Amino acid sequence: MKIRSFCLGLLAIVLVLGSLPLAAQDDQINMTMWVRAINFQTQELVDTWNANNDSQIELTVIPSAEFVTKMGAAIAAGEPPDIASIDLIYTPAFAAAGQLVDITDFVRELPYADDLTPAHMALGLYEGRNYAVPTAVDGSFMAFNVDLFEQAGLDPDNPPSTWDEVLEAARAVSALGDDIYGYWFSGACAGCNAFTFLPFIWASGGDVLSDDYATATIAEDPLVREALELYNTIWEEGLTPEGASIDNGSNFVSAFTGGNIGMAPLGNFALSLFQNDHPDLNFDIFHIPGKEGGAASFGGGDVIAIPAGTEHAEEAWRFIAWTLTDEPQIEIYAANGQIPVRLALVDNKYFEGDERQSIAASALAVGHTPYTTVYNDLFNDPNGPWLEMLQIAILDGDIDGAIELGQERFTQIMEG
Amino acid sequence: MGQTALLNLSWEQRRKLTGLLFVTPTVAFVTVFFIIPLIMTIYMSFHDWPLFGERAFIGLANYEELGKDRQYLKSLDFTFRYTALVTPPIFILGFILASLVRHNIRYIGIFRTIFFLPVVIGLGVSSLLWVWMLDDRIGVFNKILLDFHLVPKAQLFLGRPNTAMNVIILSVVWKTVGFTMILLLAGLQAIPDELYESAEVDGAGYFRKLFYITLPLMRRFIALALILSVIGSILSFDQFYIMTRGGPRNSTISIVFWIFNNSFTYFKMGYGAAMSIVLLGILVALTGAQLYVLREKE
Repeated sequence: MKIRSFCLGLLAIVLVLGSLPLAAQDDQINMTMWVRAINFQTQELVDTWNANNDSQIELTVIPSAEFVTKMGAAIAAGEPPDIASIDLIYTPAFAAAGQLVDITDFVRELPYADDLTPAHMALGLYEGRNYAVPTAVDGSFMAFNVDLFEQAGLDPDNPPSTWDEVLEAARAVSALGDDIYGYWFSGACAGCNAFTFLPFIWASGGDVLSDDYATATIAEDPLVREALELYNTIWEEGLTPEGASIDNGSNFVSAFTGGNIGMAPLGNFALSLFQNDHPDLNFDIFHIPGKEGGAASFGGGDVIAIPAGTEHAEEAWRFIAWTLTDEPQIEIYAANGQIPVRLALVDNKYFEGDERQSIAASALAVGHTPYTTVYNDLFNDPNGPWLEMLQIAILDGDIDGAIELGQERFTQIMEG
Repeated sequence: MGQTALLNLSWEQRRKLTGLLFVTPTVAFVTVFFIIPLIMTIYMSFHDWPLFGERAFIGLANYEELGKDRQYLKSLDFTFRYTALVTPPIFILGFILASLVRHNIRYIGIFRTIFFLPVVIGLGVSSLLWVWMLDDRIGVFNKILLDFHLVPKAQLFLGRPNTAMNVIILSVVWKTVGFTMILLLAGLQAIPDELYESAEVDGAGYFRKLFYITLPLMRRFIALALILSVIGSILSFDQFYIMTRGGPRNSTISIVFWIFNNSFTYFKMGYGAAMSIVLLGILVALTGAQLYVLREKE
């Protein structure tokens, strides 16, 4: 009988413990939110929301390179987050798979629906329905170190506007000393180089995908080859640190903050980071140029969406709609150096007099954003064809082999 | 009633029932965690099975696709090369270490513990540890090489296909050699000293004793250690995922890595299942061959 009373006691304890969280929970809504690589405004948005609302949001940061894998696994396991801040580029894939809540009706009710950044809205659209709205605007551009430019005899007010000028500037800065380099790119980071290297090709009028995003044009477009040759020259002449070749993106931004790098192609997220963490860094920015001039940018950033399967879609939308209102857009976004996602708010009190912000914002005007459901497999996958092609061409110098391989693997993936 | 039924059983029947009861937990475990997933995997491999969305029966199409998948063939080649390169050092070093700590002399436990210690930390942890030790700016290896002027500048060990493979092998040998040492040590200690003594009386030297007494009598232990080591190497994933992410130039994508990528990054679960089944076939064949070669001769 001892065993029986022991079992009963155990049962009683389990029942009491099991009911405790229920009693404490009441009917408060607890939501989870996933974000890839944290931006300043995301944490502050969530903190501000939690401080002023009954519902609470728990923020989880997922490494960018693993976002699609983890999100896919979470959805398949039936445990998706309630809110997801997704790289805008993945929205078509997730929407096509039926994994996002259709928010068309919600979006229609927004008073400023037409004022939201067009690239994000376009990527959030699938078969005429809305699945996401913008939450972070991130165009790519070139950052340069003003002090190093001056020391090298370059005019910081007249930054490079062609490939040759970029190369000349990189050479001039590299000549300043053994530990000073003209250029930085993260050689083992697939996504970083889609964001920063594709604009070189776009600005010159070339592309790696056809206009309808249905076929690969790597082999037929001579500008792809020439852009690879440009980076190959930068690498072979030692204008970038050797360690750049194995950087998987962890030094994508921080390399430039060391003060010994002349130029590094970056994006808006870096502006707010520099402003908050490196106020002494004397830098300026210019548009990523084409071969003979022109400019282009990767219209990147994050959209915010509600994964299918959540029980809190209404409350999740309440949070999302709030992030788009004036107060957070100005006092959280702009105050942190982050571009508001509503175009009408780009001219605001915080951006006045900072020319860098207006250049960064104007990068959006020359922004490209590929629309394809296999974007991750093509470009962002660390084992995908994009990075393999870049490494073989730039680091090994086998440009012919790289182009052949890139064209073949791109085609294979795009044909499914 | 149940009790009377049991009592009516003959001794032989009861013995069988007892035996059945003893194996039931294992059978249940194997069924739930191996047989059912295996059947499920085989079933999936005949389907176009995205991680989410519609599934469709496609027969052998996944298997036909394997022959055209350049990376799959590259990964198979890489995995076998890796296994062939990593197994001998683990064995030779494991045997040397086992010989060194074989006799129960004072404080020998300290050395056994030191050699075995890396085995008990996770492979993920040890891989991260090695990533930092191999770092070009803050890593201890470059510090030593530079201080002794053995290299002109910091080396990017994980940045080139050849050196990446070599340093990963080094890290895995460090991590797993202790386990092989323990297995071989058990084999060594099972050999009675009298055999060596009489061999010495007959004038046998170290190598004669090694080849005519030690190795033949350790056959079973060597077979066990070899099979575990080879299977472990063919199924390796963590070290490549963490230390190189499959790079540089996709040169270190092991076969399990490629299965993982297809299943969870490209969401092609059915294709991943087909690759897993082929891999299972390869492992069964390899293990069978090893058991045959190392069998006890009657």
